[in-house]
Amino acid sequence: MVKVQKKEKIPVAWQVVILLLASAVMGISVNHIRPDPIPLVGDWTPEARITSDSGKSLVISLEEAERLFSSGRAIFLDARSSGLYGEGHIKGAKNLPWQSFEEFVDKVIPDISQDAQIVTYCDGENCSLSEDLARELSLMGYKKVRVLVNGWTIWTEKGLPVEKGSS
Amino acid sequence: MSSSAKRSGDKITRSSFFHQIPQLFARLVLGAVFIYASIDKILYPQAFAKAVYNYQILPDFLINLTAIILPWLELILGLFLIIGLFHEGSVWIVTLLLVMFFGSMTFNLARGLDIHCGCFSTGTDGTNNAPMAWYVFRDGLFLLPAFYLFYLTVLGKNRTIKV
Repeated sequence: MVKVQKKEKIPVAWQVVILLLASAVMGISVNHIRPDPIPLVGDWTPEARITSDSGKSLVISLEEAERLFSSGRAIFLDARSSGLYGEGHIKGAKNLPWQSFEEFVDKVIPDISQDAQIVTYCDGENCSLSEDLARELSLMGYKKVRVLVNGWTIWTEKGLPVEKGSS
Repeated sequence: MSSSAKRSGDKITRSSFFHQIPQLFARLVLGAVFIYASIDKILYPQAFAKAVYNYQILPDFLINLTAIILPWLELILGLFLIIGLFHEGSVWIVTLLLVMFFGSMTFNLARGLDIHCGCFSTGTDGTNNAPMAWYVFRDGLFLLPAFYLFYLTVLGKNRTIKV
C-alpha cells in the first residue's frame, strides 16, 4: 500500500533556523525589559566577579598579599579542604574549608578580631571557595576581607613561604 | 496498515501504529522536562550565567548570551514537542542539545571539576562528586527518548521510497 508523501512542510533546516532565531529574539527582548537585565557580554574577570555588596572588588594582587604577609598584619585563611591544606599551605595560614564551614568556623573564628585584615585563598583561577568564604565572613561582620585569586598556585610559583601539616 | 517489519519494494515509514503511543509518550516527557528546566533559568539569568561559567567550557564572552538564549530555546522546544509543531527541527535540536549537555557533564566529571565551586578535586581530599555523577546519569536517561524520536523522525523518513 503506497502512502501519500507527507504534505508540503517547511524544510528542516528552516525549522531549525526559525527555532534558534525565535529563542534569540525572545531571550534578548525579555532580558532587555526585565528590571534586572544581565549584560549581553558579561565581565567574568575575577576583579568584576568577586565584589563586595557595594560593588568594590575584593581581589588583591600577589604583591599586596606579599606585603601583608611580610608585615605580619594579615591572617591568611585557606578555604580548601583539610586534606589539601595539610599537603601544603601558605606559611601561617589557618584552614577554614568553605565546604566544611560549620565544622571549622567555631574553632578558627574566635581567635580573629572583627577588624583584622583577612586574606582568603584557594587554588585555581575559577575556584570560588575563597570568594564564598570571603563573602560569608563579611556577612559575619569582618570588614577587611580580601581574596587572593588562584592563591595557592601563584604563591608557590613565586617560591614564597609555605608549610605542611595541620594548624 | 504496514507493520514496522521491512519489506523490499514497499514504502516503509516509521510512523506505523506500533510506534504511535511510545512516540507520543517520548514527546510529552521530553517536552515537559524541557519546559520545567527552562523556568528557573528564565527567572534567574544571573544565577544561570554563573552556572554556565562554572562549567568552564565556553569562552567568557559567550556566557551571558548563552544564559539569555538557551532557556528560551528549551521552553520553545518543549512547547513545540508537545504541540507537534516543527517536529523534525525540534527533534534535531533537542537531540543535539542533550548530547552536548551530556558530553559537557561527562567531560567535567572526568577532569574532576566540581561545578558548584569551580574547583578541581584531586580525589585525595575526599570531595564528593557523586551528585554530579547522578546528574550525568539522569541526563543520559533523557537521551533515550531523544534518540528514539530522532530514529523515528530523522532516520525513519530516509527509508521511504518514492514509487
